[in-house]
Amino acid sequence: MTEQTLNPNDVLAKAEALRNNLSSGFRDEIVKSLYSEAETIAKRAVKAAKEKKYDLDQKIDRLVTSPIVGLPIMLVLLGIIIWLTVSGANVFSSAIANVLFGIGDWGRALFESAGFIPWWITGFIWDGVYLGLAWVISVMLPPMAIFFPAFTFLEDLGYLPRVAFNLDWLFKKAGAHGKQSLTMAMGFGCNAAGVVATRVIDSPRERLIAILTNNFVPCNGRFPTLIMLATVFVAATFPPALTSFIAAGTVVGVVLIGVAFTFLMSWILSRTVLKGEASAFTLELPPYRRPNVTRILYTSIIDRTIFVLWRAMQTAAPAGAVIWILANIHMGDTNLARAIADWLNPFGLLLGLDGVILLAYIIAIPANEIVVPTMMMVYMGAGMMIDGPGTSTGIYNLLVNGNGWTMLTAVNLMLFALLHNPCATTIITIYKETKSYKWAAVSVLITLGTAFLVTFLTASFARLMGWA
Amino acid sequence: MSWIWSIVLLLVVTLLPRVGLLSLYRDWRSAKDREQLEDALKHLLDREGQGRHASPESLAGTLNLPRVKVTRIIADMESQGLLETRGAQLHLTTEGTRWAMHIVRAHRLWERYLVDEARMPLSRIHEEAQKREHSFTEAQLNELDAALGHPTRDPHGDPIPTREGVMPSLESMPITAWQGESPARIVHIEDEPAIAYEQILAAGLRLGQVIRIIERTPQRVVLSDGETEYRLAPTVAANVSVAPLPESETAKASAISLADLTHDQQAEIVMLDDAVQGFTRRRFLDLGLTPGTLIYPELGNFFNDPRAYRVRGTLIALRKDQAAQIWVRPV
Repeated sequence: MTEQTLNPNDVLAKAEALRNNLSSGFRDEIVKSLYSEAETIAKRAVKAAKEKKYDLDQKIDRLVTSPIVGLPIMLVLLGIIIWLTVSGANVFSSAIANVLFGIGDWGRALFESAGFIPWWITGFIWDGVYLGLAWVISVMLPPMAIFFPAFTFLEDLGYLPRVAFNLDWLFKKAGAHGKQSLTMAMGFGCNAAGVVATRVIDSPRERLIAILTNNFVPCNGRFPTLIMLATVFVAATFPPALTSFIAAGTVVGVVLIGVAFTFLMSWILSRTVLKGEASAFTLELPPYRRPNVTRILYTSIIDRTIFVLWRAMQTAAPAGAVIWILANIHMGDTNLARAIADWLNPFGLLLGLDGVILLAYIIAIPANEIVVPTMMMVYMGAGMMIDGPGTSTGIYNLLVNGNGWTMLTAVNLMLFALLHNPCATTIITIYKETKSYKWAAVSVLITLGTAFLVTFLTASFARLMGWA
Repeated sequence: MSWIWSIVLLLVVTLLPRVGLLSLYRDWRSAKDREQLEDALKHLLDREGQGRHASPESLAGTLNLPRVKVTRIIADMESQGLLETRGAQLHLTTEGTRWAMHIVRAHRLWERYLVDEARMPLSRIHEEAQKREHSFTEAQLNELDAALGHPTRDPHGDPIPTREGVMPSLESMPITAWQGESPARIVHIEDEPAIAYEQILAAGLRLGQVIRIIERTPQRVVLSDGETEYRLAPTVAANVSVAPLPESETAKASAISLADLTHDQQAEIVMLDDAVQGFTRRRFLDLGLTPGTLIYPELGNFFNDPRAYRVRGTLIALRKDQAAQIWVRPV
C-alpha cells in the first residue's frame, strides 16, 4: 500500500478547479443550512414560551412609533433628560466646586507658608494647572454622571432603536443613516463619546457623515455657557419660579437649531465630498426588557463618564497653565490676555461677538467647560479663572453695562457655542476613529466655517435692521 | 548677493532627485504614458472581442488624441512586442493580450468592489475604476478576487477575465436582436458611450431585470417588466444585452417583493435579488433572511419607510429600497 501525502498546492489547485462548478447561490445555501441546523438544535434545547409574548411589546411599539404621539414622546423624553441634567448638575457642581476649590486654597496657603517658594510657582501650580483641573471636574462630572445613566437607561430599555426607526426617513432624505440619531443623542453627553458611538453604523460613508456632524449637537461641556446665557438674558424676564424651565426650554430650542444644522450639513456632505446614495439600512428592534441597574451604572460611569473625564483632564491641565500665564504676564498696565483680546476685538465685533469671547474659545479648545470662567477672568481683570458675580443681575451688569454686550452678543454667543469647532478631545477621537488627519481637519473646518458664517450673517442682518 | 541664493534655491527645488519639480514632472509624465498605453491595449482587446480589428484611426478616436501622437504610441507598443501592424490593422500579440486582460480584470474587479463593498452608486463606478485600473499588481488582483468571492461578472454584467487571463464567454445578444414574445433578462448594459448609458439608467432599466419586448419600430423600442413601460431609441436599446431566463427566474415570476407585502400578511422568502451582492447580501443573510424563512411586516412609522418585519422571532427594520430586493411568496 502506498501512502499518499497531500501537497497543499495540490489541494489549492483542486479547490480552484472545483470552484468553477459551484452554482452562484451556494453561499446562500450555506447560510440557509447553518440556520436550519441552529433551528434544529434550538428546538431540541429551548422551550419556547407562548406566542403571546410579543403582545405588550407590540402595544408599546405602536404607541412610540405612532404618527401622532411618537414624535412628541421623543421630544418630551429629550426635554426631561436635559432638564434633569441641567437642574441636577447645578446642585452637585457647586458642592464639588466647594470641596475642590477648598483644597486649592489650602494648597496655596501651604505653599505660601513654606516661605521659600516663589509666588509664580505657587500661582502656576495652584491657580493655573490645579484650577483648570478642578474647574473641568466640577463642571463636567455632575452633568455626565446624570446624563449618561439616563441615556444608558433608555438604551438598556430598548427605546433608542425605536428613535432611529422613527427618524430614519429624515436621515434618508439627508443621505444619512437612521442610527445617526443614536450617535447624536450620545453627543449630548459628550461629542467624543458620540464619535465613538458611530461604530454602530456599518457603512463607511454614512458613518463619516455622522462623525463630521456630531459636533452640531451641544455636549454637556457647552451647556453651562448656554444655560448662563439662557438664565441671564432670556429667563430673567420671567418670574423666578419658572427660571429653570425657561432656561431648559431655551436650551432645547438651541438644541433643535443644532439638529437642523446636523441635517443640513449631512445633506450637503452627501451631495458633495461624500457623494452617494443612502445605502443598506438594517436595524434590529430588540424586545423591551427590564433595565439592569448594575449594568447601567457600570457602562455609564466607568465606560463613559470616567473615560471622557480622564481624556478631558489630560487636556484641561495644560489649558489651565496657559490661561494663568496669559493672565499674569503683564505688558505695561494690561496683561497678555487682555492685550490679545483687544487685538481680536475687531474680528469679534464683525461676528457680533467680542475679542474676549474669541480668546476664551481659543484657549478653551482643550475643554469647552472653561469658556465662561475664562471670559469672566478677562472681563474682571483677574489673575485666574473666576466664577464671576454670583447672581444673574450681577452677571448682566458686568456684561451689558461693563463690557458693551447686547442681545445680539448673547444670541450670537449661543450660536457660536453651538456651531464652533470640536474640542481637542473630540478632534483627537475623530482622528483615532477615522485614522486620517484629513477628516479630523475637515471636521474643524466645516464647523468653524459654519460658526463664522452664521454669526457674521446674523450680526450683519441685525445691524442692517437697526436692532444692534 | 541675494539673487545668487534665489537661483541656487530655484535650482535645488527644480533638480532635487525624487522630490524635485523636474523629477515629479517626469514621474507624472511616465504614469500618463503608461495609462495611454494601457487604454490603447484595452481598445485593441475590445475590438478583437467584437471580431473586428483596431486601426490607428479607431485608436485615435477612442483615446481622443491627435494622429501624430497615436502613431508614436503604436510604434512604442510595437517595439515592446505588444502589438503587430498588418496593413492598417493592429493585432495584439500574446504578451499584449495578457497585459490587456490584466487591465480589464483590474477594471471589472474594482467595479465589483465599489458596488459590493463600498456601495457606490452604479453611475459613478466606471469613472472611478477608469482611474484605479492602472495601479494594481497581479498579486493584488488575486487577493481582491478572493476577497470578493471570485465573482464572474462585473456590475454591468460583463465577464471578468480569470487569473489565467481567459475571458469567459457570455451568451447574450443586444435586445434589438431578441426574437419573439418570451421574457428575457438584462445581462449587460454597455457603459460606453456615457450618454446612452445615462439614458438607459434614467429610463429605470437595471441589470438582472426581466423584460419583454412590446413594440419594435425603427423609431423606438418599447419594453415592459409587467408594470412599467420603457421607451428607448433603437440605437440606445442596442446597448442593452439580454439572455434567456435562468431557472431561478421562474421562481421569481410567482413572487412579489417584500416592499409590496401588505401589513401583517405572512409570507415566505423565495430569494434575494441577484442585484444584491457583497456586503448587503451578507448582512441580509446574517439577519436570517434566508430562502424559506417566514416573514411578515409588523410595524411601520409615519411614512411606512422603514418598515419593521418579524422574522425568526426578532423585529428587523428595513428601508423600502432594501425590502424591494427580497422576493417573497404570500402564504
